[in-house]
Amino acid sequence: MLKFLRRLAADYKEYILLIILSVISLTLLSKSEKPQAKHLKTFALGNFALLSEITNSLTSIFKRDISLDELKHENAQLMLEVNRMRKLRSENDELREMIAFRDTSRYPLIPAKVISKLVTKTQGNFIINRGSSDEIKKGMPVLSEKGLIGLIMDVADNYSVVRTLNNSNLNIAVTLQRTNVDGILSYDGKNLVIKDIPTTYDVQVGDRVETSDFSSLFPPAIPIGVVVKKESNVLGLLHIITITPFADIPAENDLFVLKVLPSKQINDLEMNLLKQN
Amino acid sequence: MFDNIIKPVLIFIPLALIQLTVIPMISIAGIAPNLIFVLIAFYTLKNGQAYGIILGFFLGFLLDLFSGGLIGAFMFSFTISAFIAGYFYNENKIELNTETFFFLLIIFICGSLNAFIYAAVSNSNPDINLFFLILEEGLLPGLYTSLFGLPMVIFTSKKGIL
Repeated sequence: MLKFLRRLAADYKEYILLIILSVISLTLLSKSEKPQAKHLKTFALGNFALLSEITNSLTSIFKRDISLDELKHENAQLMLEVNRMRKLRSENDELREMIAFRDTSRYPLIPAKVISKLVTKTQGNFIINRGSSDEIKKGMPVLSEKGLIGLIMDVADNYSVVRTLNNSNLNIAVTLQRTNVDGILSYDGKNLVIKDIPTTYDVQVGDRVETSDFSSLFPPAIPIGVVVKKESNVLGLLHIITITPFADIPAENDLFVLKVLPSKQINDLEMNLLKQN
Repeated sequence: MFDNIIKPVLIFIPLALIQLTVIPMISIAGIAPNLIFVLIAFYTLKNGQAYGIILGFFLGFLLDLFSGGLIGAFMFSFTISAFIAGYFYNENKIELNTETFFFLLIIFICGSLNAFIYAAVSNSNPDINLFFLILEEGLLPGLYTSLFGLPMVIFTSKKGIL
């Protein structure tokens, strides 16, 4: 019997190895979000990201840089925009005061640099050079100067993993700024799309999309992108809306982490509602 | 021992750094080559199927840790694709397999499979269709990866760098 088993193992060692290692891989995959796996990942990330940062600084000379003229132009436009916003803000503050509305629009920003990227069609991940020592926490939104980029998923001491909008595992509650139509934004491997919007709703190409008040991940009104296409499904009852993000996500290198976490109070209230139902 | 165990791991470290910092700059519409797989395929064709499976598993684990992705995704895809690459292993044809354009064909076939499996196991969006996974997540990255086997064919043939 023992001889037979030995012979079997020798003859089929590749198959046995394949099965054992595949089972281990799949088990780890299913436990990837467990705290033990996260600790291991955080430890490895913290050490390897240092090397990535050094390599990144060496290769950064090949990266596209924005010219001074472009920045001056952008600065001038921003100056005009800020002026307009100041006027609107004072008006808004007065109105808020009149109705005793709480201001929730000011959040501190933590600047960060992308040091490495995992590029696949559906799994957009960045590693940035800010971590728990900079008070970064899991769940904080990440932006560029143009709009939303993604969400902090893992945090090591000095580095963090960002899950970008170009990741099919990230779904976000969004709203169309003009008409307040709500939907769920996801990535289909090519585009950002909002599905199942009734055709009776007013949606037009060019509408701006931002995070929704209903989002439990992001604070409201973070700009995301603009509607570039709307298609109806076979029955003509529902729209599929394609969004182009304001930020060029794969090319972004300088980011900001919005120092805000999802409200525990809101989450608790939502949980209570679910329990009651 | 050095040639078969330590050397591939030593080569892996700079390759992983390039994979995560330089390759994103040359990716085309989200399609990127996988340099680590070129290394795994090369060593599998030199040392056999069982060796390749173990190497793929181990390097996949390291890449999963370093890339910040899901732990197990690269492990699984590298293990399976190294197993397939192992079918091309022939003790008497190691040079033919690793130093001719046949190497590129092997990388294309197994690299496509590797990219497809990685996409399939790491994606949880049910709206992504199979055709998209096969073409854009499998064949195109496989083709791009095979281009990176070209320098190995050209430079390693007689010099014995690896």
